[in-house]
Amino acid sequence: MPYKKAGKEFKIVDATLILMMVAPLLVAILCKVLFIPQSEGIEITGAHVYFTLNMPVSTLPISESQVNSAAVLISIFFLCLFITHGIRAKVYTKRAVIAEWAVEKVEGLVNENMGTYFAGFAPFIGAILLLSAFSSLISLVGLFAPTSDLNVVAGWAILVFMLITYYKLKCGPWYYVKGFMEPIPLMLPMNILGEVATPVSMTLRHYGNILSGTVISVLLAAALQAASNAIFGNLPGILQNFPLFRIGIPAVLSIYFDLFSGCLQAFIFAMLTMLYVSTAFPMEEYMKRKQIKEKAN
Amino acid sequence: MQTLDIISINIWQILISFCNLIILFFIVKKFLFEPVKKMVAEREALAAGIIEEANEQKKAASADKALWESKLSTADKEADEIIKKAVAKADKRSDVIIGNAQERADGILRQAKIDAELEQKKAQEGIRREIIDLSSVLTKKMLKREINEQDHREMIDEFLQDIGDIS
Repeated sequence: MPYKKAGKEFKIVDATLILMMVAPLLVAILCKVLFIPQSEGIEITGAHVYFTLNMPVSTLPISESQVNSAAVLISIFFLCLFITHGIRAKVYTKRAVIAEWAVEKVEGLVNENMGTYFAGFAPFIGAILLLSAFSSLISLVGLFAPTSDLNVVAGWAILVFMLITYYKLKCGPWYYVKGFMEPIPLMLPMNILGEVATPVSMTLRHYGNILSGTVISVLLAAALQAASNAIFGNLPGILQNFPLFRIGIPAVLSIYFDLFSGCLQAFIFAMLTMLYVSTAFPMEEYMKRKQIKEKAN
Repeated sequence: MQTLDIISINIWQILISFCNLIILFFIVKKFLFEPVKKMVAEREALAAGIIEEANEQKKAASADKALWESKLSTADKEADEIIKKAVAKADKRSDVIIGNAQERADGILRQAKIDAELEQKKAQEGIRREIIDLSSVLTKKMLKREINEQDHREMIDEFLQDIGDIS
């Protein structure tokens, strides 16, 4: 394929997109640096609240998780724009290959796990993967990961639950209710509990994994500090307080707790979404009814 | 600064996060999946066009090849025929030439035979005349007299006739 040198305008647009991609994160970091006081000692709390809005039903605290999710959202928006900027059939670019690879991977995943009927779910699964992964990975730049806030993940899980219910209702409300009485009507309370447990378990799994990573990181940092103090405490001068063990070791653990766990939980959340939605849809029954309806017409 | 509890449930936050995912779904669909799929479709169309063109050209080439092959085979046949014709012609001509030569040789031979016969006859005639002359001289000398020229000639002729009959 012909390789065309990028024009000046193209480069300017590219630079703007990259800038816009990074800017929200910089703003979030700035907010954190400016408004949040440095913590001292071991402190495990939820997100810091910048300010609180008075809303009906309950107040809305604009916390770190809100700001950071918005930052992630805007970043992903510009990432999408950047990666698809100037891709054309005849021009071969690295980003086009990456974008194509990602899209094809997600579509393959959806087709494999949900079947071709749910092919339209690919962008949704892609959105879940991106949002979840980036929300967790934002902790790499020192920001509060929105996924370690229960409410953020709960919102996604409720959306997934709505989709599950929507597909279960596709064969009519009676079929949906009947589904709870299987295999015997006695199982009704258990089935209802199981139904409600789905979003709850999805939420808690994701949120708990990310939060536990953060908690372990904090505990470990404190423990390593204590170990340094215990061993080098008798040295004179500034060496006494030098946290030698805090160099390097937390970085290695961060690979697991921030990088790996974040990506893994995003993948698990997407996987569970696909499985729950596809199994919720009674495909055979739906097709049978559709055929009967077509015959009646 | 105030912080949230580790487990804090807030309906508005849940709603915002819910909306965030929906918004991101549309963003990803509109700005990532659609352009990429469009590009892939365009490229596939391009590739399909190229393949189709190639197939057409291949078809044309194979048709040409068949044409030329048939022409070549007919050319072979034609060459064979030409050679056969030439050989036949040459055979005929050689036959004619040989026949002519034979005829001519026969003619020469016949002529030679005729000539020889003629020569023989001439010689015979000459010998006869000489014998006649000789016998007439001999008889003249033997008889030493002239009886009758006419009678003599008749007698000798008769005699010679006898000799000729005998020989």
